[in-house]
Amino acid sequence: MLAAAALAAVLGFPARPSQPAEPAPDFTTAPYGRTAGAAAEEAPPPAQAPPPRRVLLPDVGVDARVAPVGVTDRGDLAVPDDPSVAGWYRYGPAPGSVAGSAVLVGHVDSDTGAIGEFAGLYDVRRGDRVEVRRAGADPVRYRVLSRVTVPKEELPPSAFRRTGVPVLTLITCAPPFVPERGGYLSNLVVTAEPVESGRAQWPT
Amino acid sequence: MIHRTRLVIAASAGACALALGVSSPALAEQQDQAMVSVFHGIPGMTVDVYANGDELVGDFKPGTVTDPKSLDAGTYDIQIFEAGQSPDGTPALQKKIEVPEGANATVAAHLSADGKPELTAFTNDVSQVEAGKSRLTVRHVAAAPAVDVRAGGQPVFTDLTNPKEDTAEVDAGTLNTDVVLAGTDTVAIGPADLKLAEGTSNVVYAWGSADDKNLALATQTFSGMASSPRGVPAGGSGAAVATNSADLGPAWAAGAGAVAVAGVLVARRVVRRRG
Repeated sequence: MLAAAALAAVLGFPARPSQPAEPAPDFTTAPYGRTAGAAAEEAPPPAQAPPPRRVLLPDVGVDARVAPVGVTDRGDLAVPDDPSVAGWYRYGPAPGSVAGSAVLVGHVDSDTGAIGEFAGLYDVRRGDRVEVRRAGADPVRYRVLSRVTVPKEELPPSAFRRTGVPVLTLITCAPPFVPERGGYLSNLVVTAEPVESGRAQWPT
Repeated sequence: MIHRTRLVIAASAGACALALGVSSPALAEQQDQAMVSVFHGIPGMTVDVYANGDELVGDFKPGTVTDPKSLDAGTYDIQIFEAGQSPDGTPALQKKIEVPEGANATVAAHLSADGKPELTAFTNDVSQVEAGKSRLTVRHVAAAPAVDVRAGGQPVFTDLTNPKEDTAEVDAGTLNTDVVLAGTDTVAIGPADLKLAEGTSNVVYAWGSADDKNLALATQTFSGMASSPRGVPAGGSGAAVATNSADLGPAWAAGAGAVAVAGVLVARRVVRRRG
């Protein structure tokens, strides 16, 4: 009986995929991926910046510990199981590197039902502040440039580029949520640009 | 760099030669480039390398490999002279090498299995490597019998003979490797730690002579082959979208128990998918 109910619940999903609770619409300043840098392909890899330890978005209340991550056996980005922890894609640039996209990723929610720290990304707006604290180095500051929602299979490769202008890319999952197709079908991708190091304050 | 200047001369000479071979000079301008590097694996002999009569590499020492250089695609008459000898004489080695458009090739001067100097052109696989991986290629260019290449004591490549190569994508990181006589535990070279960076292609030359007890490894690395992870599975139960679960209607609201069970089913599916 319970199993039948569960089945019904699962089957009941596709007709009405869940929608986010009226998030702010996505925004971009330019077509996503405009900075993909083929020209810099020949450049030697820059010296590695120190690893990130913590990421904060004070405007939306995100404050997450950061752990380095790689890929799973099947080649997916290995997202930390704990939704309060963000993963830094350690094969790509670190935040503060002179080139390329530093990727931080976090679960929007966990298999146990906890809401992830990166769920706060649903509320970011252009110009929001991002701070990445690092081991043995000054924090790096960014401001949000764009937020896009893309089907998971269309995650722009530029999010993982290793060359071109430096950006911070924050990724989590986004609705629609369709359990029988593996859960969330989209990725929310927030791109932030470095705030010039000369400025003591974030721009307002 | 002296080498670069020499190379430009060699390249333009190559283009001229090719222009003679085609019906219209305009075609020559459309010729694509190829990346060419040279490996020197003949022990005890410093050499000069000439391509179509122009010096490509001078004072080239054994066990070294040049950086890849862009050359016009085409046929090159490669000549190897003992360093400082006049290129008008008889070369120690000579071979015509075809360099196709868009290719990335390494010309290896090395010993055959029975110890005779020879030239072999290898094509370097510089296609994208899967995220988290590194490409490892081993080329047997030594005066030695068939070998196995092991990593952490386990065979990665088996029964490799001169002048063959074998290649595999392996997890990026440091690999403790050695080379053994095929089918035995008799170590011929190593052990040696290979640092295989993610998104790179690493070519290891097993070179030298078993008889002269100077077998060694030399490595050539190509970078810029990184690719993105397949996907970013950053969601779990759907709890983050459950705030509007009322939208799902009475059927959904009917039983919290059903929701919980469905959640578990989903979790299991997700775990399996990740596996």
